[in-house]
Amino acid sequence: MGRIVGIDLGTTYSLVAYVGKATGRPQCIPDEEGRTLLPSVVSLDADGTLVVGWPARERLLIQPERTVYSVKRLMGKGLADVEDELKLFHWRLAPGSNSVIRIALGEKILTPPEISALILRELKQRAEKFFGEEIAQAVITVPAYFNDAQRQATKDAGRIAGLEVLRLVNEPTAASLAYGLDQHREGLVAVYDLGGGTFDISVLKLQQGLFEVQATNGDTHLGGDDIDNLMLEKLEAEVRERFRSEITEPEQVQELRQRLIAAKHELSSAEQTTIRLGVERKGSYERVLKRAELESWIAPIVERTIGPCKLVLKDAGVKPEEIGEVVLVGGSTRLPLVRRRVEEFFGRTPHTELNPDEVVALGAAVQADILATGVRDMLLLDVTPLSLGIETIGGAVAKIIPRNSTIPASATELFTTSVDNQTGVDVHVVQGERELVKDCRSLAQFRLKIPPQPAGLPRVEVKFLIDANGILSVTASDLRTGEQQSVEVKPSYGLTDEEVERMILESIEYAEADFQQVQLIAARTEAENLLRATEKALVEEQAKQLAPEERKRIERVVAAVKEAVPTGDYKLIRERLEELNQATYHLAEMLMDTAVQAALKGKRADEVKL
Amino acid sequence: MTESTASAKTTAARACWDCGAPATGEHFCPSCSKIQPQPPHQDYFAFFALPRKLALDRQQLEQKFHQLSWKLHPDNFSTATPYERDLSLEKAAVLNDAYRTLRDPVARVEYLLGLEGIRREGEIKQQAPPELLEEVFELNEHLEELRAAKRAGTDRRELDDLRHRLEAARREFEGKLEAVDAELSACFAEWDALLDSNPDGAARKQTMEKMSEVLNRHSYLRNLVRNVTEELEA
Repeated sequence: MGRIVGIDLGTTYSLVAYVGKATGRPQCIPDEEGRTLLPSVVSLDADGTLVVGWPARERLLIQPERTVYSVKRLMGKGLADVEDELKLFHWRLAPGSNSVIRIALGEKILTPPEISALILRELKQRAEKFFGEEIAQAVITVPAYFNDAQRQATKDAGRIAGLEVLRLVNEPTAASLAYGLDQHREGLVAVYDLGGGTFDISVLKLQQGLFEVQATNGDTHLGGDDIDNLMLEKLEAEVRERFRSEITEPEQVQELRQRLIAAKHELSSAEQTTIRLGVERKGSYERVLKRAELESWIAPIVERTIGPCKLVLKDAGVKPEEIGEVVLVGGSTRLPLVRRRVEEFFGRTPHTELNPDEVVALGAAVQADILATGVRDMLLLDVTPLSLGIETIGGAVAKIIPRNSTIPASATELFTTSVDNQTGVDVHVVQGERELVKDCRSLAQFRLKIPPQPAGLPRVEVKFLIDANGILSVTASDLRTGEQQSVEVKPSYGLTDEEVERMILESIEYAEADFQQVQLIAARTEAENLLRATEKALVEEQAKQLAPEERKRIERVVAAVKEAVPTGDYKLIRERLEELNQATYHLAEMLMDTAVQAALKGKRADEVKL
Repeated sequence: MTESTASAKTTAARACWDCGAPATGEHFCPSCSKIQPQPPHQDYFAFFALPRKLALDRQQLEQKFHQLSWKLHPDNFSTATPYERDLSLEKAAVLNDAYRTLRDPVARVEYLLGLEGIRREGEIKQQAPPELLEEVFELNEHLEELRAAKRAGTDRRELDDLRHRLEAARREFEGKLEAVDAELSACFAEWDALLDSNPDGAARKQTMEKMSEVLNRHSYLRNLVRNVTEELEA
């Protein structure tokens, strides 16, 4: 099995991490400038170039209508789910968005899984450059409260990016892995995860390496974005009042948005800050914002996290005082108000020593390591966040797998017919806690095929299985014949398999170019290192004993390597590097007992880490 | 939701699929230690290698659950063959389903009665026990009054008053629920003793029908208390 990385695909930022083979510790992989965070932003330039990450975030200010941020909020959603917040985005909606949002960026139309795939691909490349090898498998984290469609959309994104998603891990659970690894803790732990767009609260029992989730709750539409949007609303209203003019230009809205996000960050440590914005043709807007004022604005948003906290304790069957420790995860837990409120609710000071931005990715890397190496001293038992049900008479829901069931979980239901010669039974699968189908999330519908028989005689057993990723699959078998029946499931939200396949094909060309780019960078780095080591060795004392023709051969191959580097042909560079390795073999042997040899060898070993 | 057309083979195996040694019904082959297919319709007690007794020690059950989780969880099979991965997924799901059912005394007895053919799973008679009719009627009246008062925006004092009365009623019903709990425990002991003495069909049936009746009362009271609690907390 190749190397498996852990990825936190976040609303605002995404990260990739791995567990060092030597250290056994999880670590985030930085980009070339040493940053571990990658803004989850994608932008399409006028010339058709797709830009991802930091440069895309800058483009929010110059081409907001061609730039997508917070796409995680749209994963697994249909138009009706997100209508309210579409006004916060500047891109256009393409037709056919009912069951999958279609985002029009210039002439290109992209779905949320495709946008997420671009972010994943960027992280994949970052890891490939780092290791100098192809990365094909990953563990990706999702909010614990993600439903089936949102999970499936995340898995699709991985496939489109050329990654086999070995496991989806719930974010708070991943955080507890990173946290528990360090401390070898035991007992009940609550993980409060308030990120850019989602809120999760999970209660886990830690016991001798077993991480058993007792219950989870949350809101997949609650996070720092909501705070930003609220601040934006308030400040826009103030500008309107002062200048008798609306901020309408998307560029300016985004500028104000970035200013107020900066102000929000500052107020986590400072008591007050100043927000400045030049308003076109009107002058400059400036206002002092105090922490207390911000807190009075956002208190209702923070309060919305308390309901799920109460529910999770109730479902786990524990009282707040029984919780041994509280761990804070997600950038929004830097807000002092959040910390105070959590402390008040649980009656204890929460842990903040882990970097709330990185801890989820680190935990994903730990899970990746468990899957890759077969380390058997840690095991995660997670739960499904929402009850699974099927529609019964009158639009009611019969629950077949209750929420907070440990996964994998399954349920079997027996179906029969109510009229003679009926040839099918329609099955509608939903997720949610309410009694009526219309108040739950529709997952899928399918029709069971039944051979014509008198009513009540057919007996078809349908098995619903939620796997360790929290994703549902369905199988059916005719109990009378014992035959397995294929079930053609039509998902209510999300991409069909054919669509995902097409998207993978579309991205392969792009991926091929990427792969070559990565190979080239790796080969060039190796060439640089080997050339440097060879040149250093050639001027050493021992090198004087080289036969002239041997020295000439080395010099010739060195020249050949130097010639190959600028061609951009990584295969050619590799070939010539191999020749150089052979040509310098004797030289290396001659230097065997010297410190110089150590340096030469050392250089070669270093190449692994590029 | 993903489509899947075939799951691991569910036919009863007579021999280990890998080494051919005779199958023992255990989760792993005793001779080659490979994971074995889940026997079709194996019951939850059998999965844990337990007799069909009802007085289960919760801690012991949890311990068994943890031990089997370490062995059967799909994480253990990430580098195994696809067939073994399927087997582990199926087994781990049944393990979790079984633990979820057996750890809760009410779900446990309901499951057992289903196994023994006394009642169908989830079949609960939503009928007030006759001896409680009057009190239930009164409680429902209080509930309705509270709902009406909330809708009408009645003043705080009156709401509080209604709440207090409901809370008192809830305490009373909680007491009754505890009594039924005790009755149920007594039934458990009776059933377990009966199993040891190898009873005839009639004796088993009699005990089970009694349990079924107690169970009905239990679930009725439990729902009642839950509804009142929800209304009070809403």
